[in-house]
Amino acid sequence: MTQEIQSKLNGYITAEIMKQPDRTLGADEALISGGLIDSFSLVDLALFVEETYGVRLDDTELNAQTFDSLAQLAALIQSRM
Amino acid sequence: MTLNQIGLFAALGLLGGALGARLPRRWLLLALSVLAVFWLQPATPIRNLDFWLPLASLGLSAVIWGLTLPAGTPLTRRDATAGLVTLGLALGVALLRYVPDACCLTASRPPEVLPVSLVLAVIAGVVWLTGRGFAGQPWALTARVGLLIGLFVVLKYEPLTTLAAAGLRSLGGQDASLATAYDIRWLGFSYLAFRLIHTLRDRLTGRLPHLHLDEFLTYAVFFPAISAGPIDRAERFQKDLQSEFRLGGGTLAEAGGRLAQGLLMKFVLADSLALFALNPQNAAEVQSGGWAWVLLYAYALRLFLDFAGYTHLAIGLGLLFGIRLPENFNRPYLQPNLTAFWNGWHMTLTQWLRGYVFNPLTRALRGRNWPVAVIILCGQVVTMLLVGLWHGITLNFAVWGLWHALGLFVHNRWADFAKGRFQLPQRLAAVGGALLTFHFVALGWVWFALPTPELAGRLFRLLLGGMQ
Repeated sequence: MTQEIQSKLNGYITAEIMKQPDRTLGADEALISGGLIDSFSLVDLALFVEETYGVRLDDTELNAQTFDSLAQLAALIQSRM
Repeated sequence: MTLNQIGLFAALGLLGGALGARLPRRWLLLALSVLAVFWLQPATPIRNLDFWLPLASLGLSAVIWGLTLPAGTPLTRRDATAGLVTLGLALGVALLRYVPDACCLTASRPPEVLPVSLVLAVIAGVVWLTGRGFAGQPWALTARVGLLIGLFVVLKYEPLTTLAAAGLRSLGGQDASLATAYDIRWLGFSYLAFRLIHTLRDRLTGRLPHLHLDEFLTYAVFFPAISAGPIDRAERFQKDLQSEFRLGGGTLAEAGGRLAQGLLMKFVLADSLALFALNPQNAAEVQSGGWAWVLLYAYALRLFLDFAGYTHLAIGLGLLFGIRLPENFNRPYLQPNLTAFWNGWHMTLTQWLRGYVFNPLTRALRGRNWPVAVIILCGQVVTMLLVGLWHGITLNFAVWGLWHALGLFVHNRWADFAKGRFQLPQRLAAVGGALLTFHFVALGWVWFALPTPELAGRLFRLLLGGMQ
């Protein structure tokens, strides 16, 4: 399940946010602190997560302290499903 | 904080560490924080205000604690004890007026005990009533956010501050015509207000954990962070308070390193640079572009060393008491672009504004199908204007905020355009980007450091090689 979520998130982030659909992100690659996702795209990512998984990410959670990698975001989503 | 104050807090931390588990840490931190609010409050020309303002910080925090309680929560013995300890300490501070050799913890002689006792009784009553009758009520929580913002505006907008000072002077029988905006210097209110708004908003969304009164008050006015941040989050602070703490060698070394770094940055380097850093007086007198750049570079470095140095001191002191305050700076002047600069400058303020302003606004605008660029521009302008006005409601702070909003917008659009199309060589992007970003930020400090557009305009003309 976690793998499935990571794969879907990877697809969305690389295609829609990074505009590099051929790229594959590492499970532990730093997304926010590494500068791959800016603050505007973070809100889009939160909306994508909410629409796809029905899981609410609070506005105060959109930061590197709450999740900074595909693995951490997938774990957060799974813990709330 | 002065060197003496930092030294005393550090000594108390070491003493607490030596006594270890024999000291009830949470009560020690509450007592120290309550006393420190009075001790650190600067003097004001308005009679007794250096006693009433700290008491207002504590009273406001306690009332908001009552509001954020889960509905129907009974008042526990622990909460009652925390209330009595706080009231007792405040009364004790006032009683020092009668002890000639020990007077005073406050900057001036505190007021008579009778009015103090009456005000303390009113605060206790309001906290009790709020907890019983209004806890968790959305309208009451929202009204309190409004009150904090209103107070913030009064304290940050000079004409209103002067008006309030005149009112307070009249109340105390002082000459109201002498009132100035500098009469009211409320220790750490900007930071306190943002901590309290965070608890109110998170209570509204059901995200605030239950905090006991001692935890809430210590969080709101924690002495290392009261005067200049960082702005912590309540749930994170509570975890540190609740965890077992022993001052071991590793923590001691880390705290010592942070304190040494902070002292060097703030009291040696920043204070030395202040001698020739940009200020309104030298900005009006400087005659050459070269010297104008020297003043500006000195200001940019001084500001960073002063603020980041202070953060080291706050974090170092916090560590001695088992609280790991969040970082506030991450090498901001070495970042390759403006977005990265703002991820490394006053981080707890920008994270707060992202969480409570930028993200909700962007989320709301996303539903309106506006063009992406317009949404980004709106979000950046509103957020950065607030960052500017947080420092003071003046035209120059607003322009400084807009300066950065436009810079962030341009960088965002450039980064979006370049995505997947081309990439600059890594070294060029890092070095060239850092130089460009630093100079953009440094030029922005002109608006921040100088009080009027005329003075800022004069300096810009010199800096950019034009005529005066």
